[in-house]
Amino acid sequence: MVFRVLPRPYHSFIQQGLLSVIEKLKGSTEQEVRIVLLGLDNAGKTTLLKSLASEDVNTITPTQGFNIKSVASHGMKLNVWDIGGQRKIRPFWKKYLEHTDLLIYVIDSADKKRFEETGLELSELIDEENLKGVPVLIFANKQDLATASPASEIAEGLNLHTYRDREWQIQACSAVSGEGVQDGMNWICNNIVNKKK
Amino acid sequence: MAEDDCEWVVESIVGYLGSPEWVIPVTDFMEMKCTVFDDEDENKLSYTEIHLQYKKLVEKLLDNYMQEVGINEQQFLDACTSPIAKSKTLQSVFMPVLATDDFQIFRSLMVQKNMELQLQALRVIKERNGVLPECLTDGVDVMTELQQQEMKILQEVLRKSKEEYDEEMSRRLRLEEEVGSSSSSSCSDKPLVQSSEAQNATPAPSQQSDTSKAKAKGKGDNSSTNGHHTPLVNGNTLVNGKSVKKQEGKTAAAEAGDERSAAKSGSTAKPTAGCGSNSVESRVLPAVRAPVKSAEPSVSLSPDSKEQSSSLNAAESLLEEAHREAGFSKPYTELSASQQEQLQQRAVYLRQQRDKLHALKKEHQKTKQATAPEETPTTTTTTTTTTTTTTAATTPEVVGQSQRNGACTPPPPPLPLPTPPPAQHSANSSKPKEISAEERKKLQKRKHLADKLKEEVIKKPFNCCLLHRKKVYLS
Repeated sequence: MVFRVLPRPYHSFIQQGLLSVIEKLKGSTEQEVRIVLLGLDNAGKTTLLKSLASEDVNTITPTQGFNIKSVASHGMKLNVWDIGGQRKIRPFWKKYLEHTDLLIYVIDSADKKRFEETGLELSELIDEENLKGVPVLIFANKQDLATASPASEIAEGLNLHTYRDREWQIQACSAVSGEGVQDGMNWICNNIVNKKK
Repeated sequence: MAEDDCEWVVESIVGYLGSPEWVIPVTDFMEMKCTVFDDEDENKLSYTEIHLQYKKLVEKLLDNYMQEVGINEQQFLDACTSPIAKSKTLQSVFMPVLATDDFQIFRSLMVQKNMELQLQALRVIKERNGVLPECLTDGVDVMTELQQQEMKILQEVLRKSKEEYDEEMSRRLRLEEEVGSSSSSSCSDKPLVQSSEAQNATPAPSQQSDTSKAKAKGKGDNSSTNGHHTPLVNGNTLVNGKSVKKQEGKTAAAEAGDERSAAKSGSTAKPTAGCGSNSVESRVLPAVRAPVKSAEPSVSLSPDSKEQSSSLNAAESLLEEAHREAGFSKPYTELSASQQEQLQQRAVYLRQQRDKLHALKKEHQKTKQATAPEETPTTTTTTTTTTTTTTAATTPEVVGQSQRNGACTPPPPPLPLPTPPPAQHSANSSKPKEISAEERKKLQKRKHLADKLKEEVIKKPFNCCLLHRKKVYLS
């Protein structure tokens, strides 16, 4: 027996109640998925985002804030949030993690010097309360470069096999050429569908 | 039962979302925070913080509302998910609520609000200054080119006008050296003066063309007297920067003569081939300058002024401006010291007269019109005086201008009584013109902003008529 005391703290209302209200108000039958796209600066997050949205990837500048694109895929609406990866912006990442359904983490496969740094950032994200149990897709980007490390090597370096509390996947890709991107998206959709149903 | 319940709650919610308790805080919030929201593709990190604040505000408001009305969240939810609430009309009402959850909606609301405010500001500017630059209005109609192209052209235009300006400046400097008048004034205003010259001169040339021949004669004398007189002139007209400039420009122009006009037409033709005022300018300028050098300024002037003032009713402002042009510089450069003394006396007289007029004006708007004629003998001038006084009466600013101008107007006319009013009046008419032109420069910057806004609002690529813009820029 639980007593319901009115009024309840409103944050609970906003976080659950209003959300569902709004989803229904929108009248969309599509399932909406919130995806956060993170990674170090120059990893290729925005390029990947634009590639996903089938936009021109030749005029991309370092992101100072964040970009949002909605992509329809597999009957779902993917709202992808790409947040700048510069060191000074990284502290803001955690403001965007709430209600996230999936994390995409992008790595510059050719930037070996920063593998450690990117690994640290990823492990911090994995520990975030808001990302608890949230599936993570790692894009080993820039495979078009000759110096790029293979995805398997990166996976090892990141100790991905130690992740037991969530689904994860590493996908080699080139955001510039688009190679491998769709494979990653397929994994996302399959995974989300599995998870949500 | 449940249906009825929902209906009641929905109505109540919709009512609340339209009530001041909701609208005022939400609108206030948006108006205060919307300024950082632009239409860039990339979002600023600060948007998120503002969105968070917005969420909190809405939470608080809705919570208060639910307490007040006595419904719980479940009822609220049920109501919101009921078919009634999902109707198209109500969806827009729920927009601000949806914006709490959906950042994109929130962002679009804020961007829109920002645009509205900026357009509002533009409207205010327009109201205050009369008309926005015509290129602004043109922008609405001639929106065919893409913004990028537009920007490219704009830059080109700016570059050209800069070149021209430099050219103009250097030319002017050269001329000033020739004249030997050391009084330098802000040259940026000169183009203005000249353009007004050009406009006003159109009717004048026929009258003045014959005097232009005299110019050559007088030239020799003048060059010697110039040295003495220009400082004097400056002393007189110190208050009125424009008159100084004007005179300077005038004498300089006269010296340069035709070669200058040739140079001018060369420079002005480039940017605005189709621009009427400019081409007129180049053609007409020499004619306007002619009277400056006329050997008998006082004689040539008064007929001029009378002729012009008689036709004032037809094309008042233009003619007056031209008249003033003629009246101004002529006597100064030409007159002997004694004549100048006379002029100064007249100046004093005119000042008194003007003060009287002002006093009268302030007392009675109607009697003023009756008394003005008394003071000024000529009928033609009467009309002008009254106009002067009325305009001055309506706008205090103009009064101040007329006062300032009054100090410098006296010199030109040889007969104290008939000429002053037109001079005054013309000074009046020209002054606001100058101001508006300065304003125009400011407005242009805003206008560019407005263009962008319009583009965003109307969601159409646009192309401002750059020639017009250029014209404004030049003038």
